[in-house]
Amino acid sequence: MSIKALHVRLGLGAILFSALLFFIAIPNWVSSPSNVRNIVLAPTFWPNILAGLMAVTGLGLILTSRQAHAIGETEDEPDGAWLRLLGVAVIMALTMYALSRLGMVWTSMLAFAATAFLFRTRYPVTALVCAVVVPLLLYAFFAHVAGVAVPQGNFVRLP
Amino acid sequence: MSFADSLMAGLSLVGNPSAFFALFCGIVIGVIGGAIPGLSATMAVALTLPFTFAMQPINGILLLLGVYKGGIFGGSIPAILIKTPGTPASSATILDGYPMAERGEAGRALGMALWASCTADLVSNLSLILFAGWLASFALNFGPPEFFALILFSLTIIAGVSGDSLLRGALSALLGLLLATVGLDLVYGTNRFTFGDPNMMGGLNFIAVLIGLFAIPEIIAMARHPTAHLGTARSLGHARATLADYLKSLKSIIRGSLIGVFLGSIPGIGAAPSAFLSYSEARRTSKNKANFGKGEIEGVAASEAGNNGVAGATLIPLLALGVPGDVITAIIIGAFMIHGLQPGPMMFILNVDIIYGLFIGLIVSSVFLFLVGTVAIHGFKFVADVPRRILMPAVLVLCVFGVFAVNNNIFDVGVMFAMGWVGYAMMRLHIPAAPFLIAFILGPLLEDNFRQSMLMSGSDPSILFRGPITWFFWTLTAITVFAIARSTARATRIARGMGG
Repeated sequence: MSIKALHVRLGLGAILFSALLFFIAIPNWVSSPSNVRNIVLAPTFWPNILAGLMAVTGLGLILTSRQAHAIGETEDEPDGAWLRLLGVAVIMALTMYALSRLGMVWTSMLAFAATAFLFRTRYPVTALVCAVVVPLLLYAFFAHVAGVAVPQGNFVRLP
Repeated sequence: MSFADSLMAGLSLVGNPSAFFALFCGIVIGVIGGAIPGLSATMAVALTLPFTFAMQPINGILLLLGVYKGGIFGGSIPAILIKTPGTPASSATILDGYPMAERGEAGRALGMALWASCTADLVSNLSLILFAGWLASFALNFGPPEFFALILFSLTIIAGVSGDSLLRGALSALLGLLLATVGLDLVYGTNRFTFGDPNMMGGLNFIAVLIGLFAIPEIIAMARHPTAHLGTARSLGHARATLADYLKSLKSIIRGSLIGVFLGSIPGIGAAPSAFLSYSEARRTSKNKANFGKGEIEGVAASEAGNNGVAGATLIPLLALGVPGDVITAIIIGAFMIHGLQPGPMMFILNVDIIYGLFIGLIVSSVFLFLVGTVAIHGFKFVADVPRRILMPAVLVLCVFGVFAVNNNIFDVGVMFAMGWVGYAMMRLHIPAAPFLIAFILGPLLEDNFRQSMLMSGSDPSILFRGPITWFFWTLTAITVFAIARSTARATRIARGMGG
């Protein structure tokens, strides 16, 4: 993507986002009491100002896209990049799902191993050992030194 | 309280092994973190932050300051050995450091980098001690309108200097300001973008946002390109930096340190511009001008002095005004808040023991940096050999534990992941993350001070221009905006000239 195209897309995105804020997000999700005496003290004032500034910035990005200077070399997409990105997203979603069910330590072990293999590690045995040891060490610190109530899950509880 | 009393109070706080051990560990972690390309000093500080929760406030903050200082120096090691700066601040070190490494003089370049770093660090710490108290006593006169003008000025600078495009930086800062509005309104207590979720009523957790923005995108980027980091390290060689080398470069080191102090004390400038300015000044005034860029040891000294001179000075606005000088000090401000401390002029009255404890710790940190740095130069091979495809999953797990530990809330882990994807999208779209984070921190302060000013004046905006202090900051803001606009226009003209 050229720098000009990038600026045009960012500008359009900012203007669309600003419109979304003005017409949908602020009216629906920012509550303002009816007895506010002055507009500058209203809870909606600041978000509206920011939305306005975002629209102005978006416009600026589009108008100055011709003059924007290059950002360096563009990089080719490596093979299977999108699949791996999807893989990370799935690992993150599953981690969120499993944290309260399996517990933080077991979930972290699985997330560690899955991520290392997704990155095609050249040291699978080391990765597996670290996948077990690192979460246990972190559990020992946070649960026993910092006094954090680390989620234990419904199956195997750690001391 | 007299200076001697304050000093004694500080000494009583840090005069124990645990405080110095925390500082030492911080420097070790920082040097290792800075030396691993892609990890960066910022990420090292962010990842260390959760470990400070269980510590005494002074020990926790000293640990983070150690990571900060160690990280800035650590970044120079891969810059010289593998031509990959560990932190953006070390980019200027490559210019002469790597050619020296190619000539088999990596050990000499690294030695000079260490000496210059420690000297600049000391100068920077001394200036912090000298100026922070003075600035804080001046800032005691500030009310909401003055703070509003000051924070607006800080935001202007941050948006302007944290990338190669002013508008992309401004967009990033606006997104950060917008995200900071999430939660209950502070005056009326009504919901703003909470979507009915009680988890969002207190606003988004700062640690979750910062780790999401700075650590998670690196993990996602690694998934996209798992082998992008592979490189070859040069050997140290037999040549070492000598006292004669140091004395020859001393003028550039001192000049670079002072440039670092000056630029570091202005919120938002950061270490990289300071390193490049110091380097260009050294080249301009050097007798060996022609050697610069080909492996001139004075070039290494100047760039390292420039970037390390910033490290203590960025704490001047942090401690005296409560305004972060750069991204790392923005993270450190979070550590203060977690421990129930509010940096700013009142801290010099209410927590003077902590302030002076930090000053003492910072002076000692220069000595620790020298010791750790000497070992680190020889141990870099082991750091370089840490497989990043195992390191990054470990970072992921550390992030999950660390973010959860802040509030014992799984929701924060979700916020971190979400912010990670936002940060990755910003990385791909060349939108700098630094203005986002700093605006996220300064946003509520800006809005609160604005609304307090309006409440004080009965909504009369003229209160924002009520005295010489506000006028001073408004003038600075105007000058900065003008300077940024002019330099952007000049850069565009140069780019056009090169293109056509």
